[in-house]
Amino acid sequence: MFKLFTNMLKEEWRIHSTIFGSLSFALFPVMIFGIAFMGSFLLPLFRAVIPGGDLSMIVHALFLLLGIMVGAFGLIGQEAMNRRFGQASLLAYSARSLPISVQEIFCTFVIKDTVYYFCLWVLPFVGGFALASPFIGIPLSLPALLLLTLTLAFLTGLSVVFFLSTVYARSKLYLGVILALLLISGAGLYLFAGINIALFFPPLMLFYSFSWVLFGFTCAVILCLSAVAVLLFTSEYTDTAQRYSSVLAPIAQRLSFFPYPPLAAKDLIDLSRSGSFIGQTIFSFLIPLGLLWFLLSVLTRLLPPGGVLLLFAILTGVIASTMYTWITAFDSYNSYTCLPVSVRALLTSKICSFTVLQLIPAALIIVVSLLSNGVAYLIPALVLCLSISFFSLAVTVWQTGLSPSVMVYDAKVLVTYLFVLGIALIVLIALSFMNPYYSLASVLLFLPGWLFVRESFMKWDILDQPTF
Amino acid sequence: MPPQVPADVSSGKMDIPLIHYSKNMSLMENSPEIIKALGLFKQYGDVTAIDNVSLSVGKGELFGLLGPNGSGKTTMIKMLTGQVRPTGGSATVLGLDVEKDPIGVRERVGIIPEQETPPSFLTATEYLDFVGDVRHIEDVQKKADWWFDFLDFSDKRDVLCKDLSRGTRQKLMFTQAFLHKPVLALIDEPLINFDPIMQHKVKDYLAEYVKAGNTIFISTHILQIAEEICTGFAILHKGKLLHTGTVALLKERDQHLDDFFLSLVQKDRHV
Ligand SMILES: Nc1ncnc2c1ncn2[C@@H]1O[C@H](COP(=O)(O)OP(=O)(O)OP(=O)(O)O)[C@@H](O)[C@H]1O
Ligand SMILES: [Mg+2]
Repeated sequence: MFKLFTNMLKEEWRIHSTIFGSLSFALFPVMIFGIAFMGSFLLPLFRAVIPGGDLSMIVHALFLLLGIMVGAFGLIGQEAMNRRFGQASLLAYSARSLPISVQEIFCTFVIKDTVYYFCLWVLPFVGGFALASPFIGIPLSLPALLLLTLTLAFLTGLSVVFFLSTVYARSKLYLGVILALLLISGAGLYLFAGINIALFFPPLMLFYSFSWVLFGFTCAVILCLSAVAVLLFTSEYTDTAQRYSSVLAPIAQRLSFFPYPPLAAKDLIDLSRSGSFIGQTIFSFLIPLGLLWFLLSVLTRLLPPGGVLLLFAILTGVIASTMYTWITAFDSYNSYTCLPVSVRALLTSKICSFTVLQLIPAALIIVVSLLSNGVAYLIPALVLCLSISFFSLAVTVWQTGLSPSVMVYDAKVLVTYLFVLGIALIVLIALSFMNPYYSLASVLLFLPGWLFVRESFMKWDILDQPTF
Repeated sequence: MPPQVPADVSSGKMDIPLIHYSKNMSLMENSPEIIKALGLFKQYGDVTAIDNVSLSVGKGELFGLLGPNGSGKTTMIKMLTGQVRPTGGSATVLGLDVEKDPIGVRERVGIIPEQETPPSFLTATEYLDFVGDVRHIEDVQKKADWWFDFLDFSDKRDVLCKDLSRGTRQKLMFTQAFLHKPVLALIDEPLINFDPIMQHKVKDYLAEYVKAGNTIFISTHILQIAEEICTGFAILHKGKLLHTGTVALLKERDQHLDDFFLSLVQKDRHV
């Protein structure tokens, strides 16, 4: 098992490093380190605006979120399973021909993902902060504690998603029940007892006051969730031949106003049949954003009126842009090379499908603004959310082409993305805090967005497509 | 006794044109070269996958590209269909420059890639619909039905591609390549996953297909079949062109393709 583990690690590393070259990929954690290091110097600045408690809560929430996203990314839906356990993933797949149980492979796989992404994200982040802490007058014990609690937050997110996604694979009904219970109890506590359950997030409590009991409890929760996930794990659903009546032609006909109806119809079918439409919407969209809303609502008293909603809209926009990875997950350009389909056509079609998916964030913003008495700011919030989503999409397409989920680990790509998007976000946050209606200016983002997309057509419409 | 390797044809840098003997002589005069490759090179890092290969294939030929594993057959087909960019040299297919107009080339030809990868979540029927839509084929359903019947996989038409057996996926890819009746098909090892009955059927289909005036460029390891159906052939080894010639010429000399192939490759290994 240990051998399998080390080989899986090696494989994951090679997949990434052969694509970008070892150096460029090795730079990725270095860059996270750098960002954390330099970001730490802004801490005193933040502190002036946001109380320390809220700040640590935000950081923990971010790592919880990161865990959720990483988990959701690797494991959602049958297709991801199929891709990772199918022909695409070499070792996890070939291990099936060895005398090892599926549970064991899955378990190894989970541990591998944990270790791998821990080294890629968590460790460099805390490292950067630790290095900066002497300069900003923070005792070193704080980063040490932070390393522990952030790791736990990350692992909690990961194990929650593993757990929920295996439940999802077994029964969608159970998942619905579990999520509804969580939502109702969370919202109930908040509305009737005025308790924000976010404050009872174990790793956060541990950060505020460390105790071995609590530490044990936190670990137990994580282990239990993962253990149940491993036990529940089944690969059966990949083994049955599924039959469907043919729907591509009628769908394509109905989508005839799209530039490439068959491609759009295929996206739609992929999303629904793989189960990733519902899965991704829940795990990579609603859950993270639900968490964010809880967090942001803590800031209500600090922000100008409408500020929370607008900030939420901005973050929703950023997360909504990752929907591009949902529709690119099924396509390797490989399967188009025998057809007269250019990369440009494929990109155009993906962008159209993405546009349709933007109904989801739009609906979310409408619901949230209704629930939070923010109807007055509905229009600016909507405009903000969608402009940012499309802008962020444009940058993603420009930087990563058809393989966003792989290319993001190229340090250069991520820096460019963060830099370009960061500037836009800072300006827009400032504008919308000044006056909610100033944020309507975000429509201007469509212009550079369009330029980026045009540039990406030139950049990616080449022979020798990178195929994964 | 090792079979004789004719001295005049065993050098890779031998000048084209080939001696065409095909029954479609008259057609050839109109457009003599369906595929023309001039000094093609392909470099993958420090591996030279294709090393200065020149080839030409005339209309109505069934041209076999032979060679050991890793000799560059797939790379060659990928370059000729605009899937990878040559590092050097040039190639035209049906008069189109593959580098300048890869999509135009792919519009006109049929391709079976080495790895059969129809999209996972479409059923077999839907995939053919999809191809039909992309290629603007009339009456796809009727044509698809014919193929389902011909290749004997009607019972699998509603199964998702990811759940199809390998051979069935290969049947689907075969259908996909011929659905629009292309004047040229480039097919990479299309027979290997078929059972003997299917191999036979497909072999006959290919032979008929070129008789009707179309051209086929096939890479294969099954030399016996190549010998039966190919008109011209080329042998690649480590990216270099060892030989181009016609099967008829071999027959005249009473040589078998597999003996010829083995001795040629063996000899090149020792060089
Ligand atoms: N994408 C790639 N990157 C690097 N090297 C490659 C790539 N594709 C092929 N090669 C190398 O190019 C050479 C030729 O490979 P190719 O696939 O064309 O051989 P082939 O004749 O089709 O072999 P086979 O009979 O096994 O299918 C091999 O040495 C291979 O390792
Ligand atoms: Mg090959």
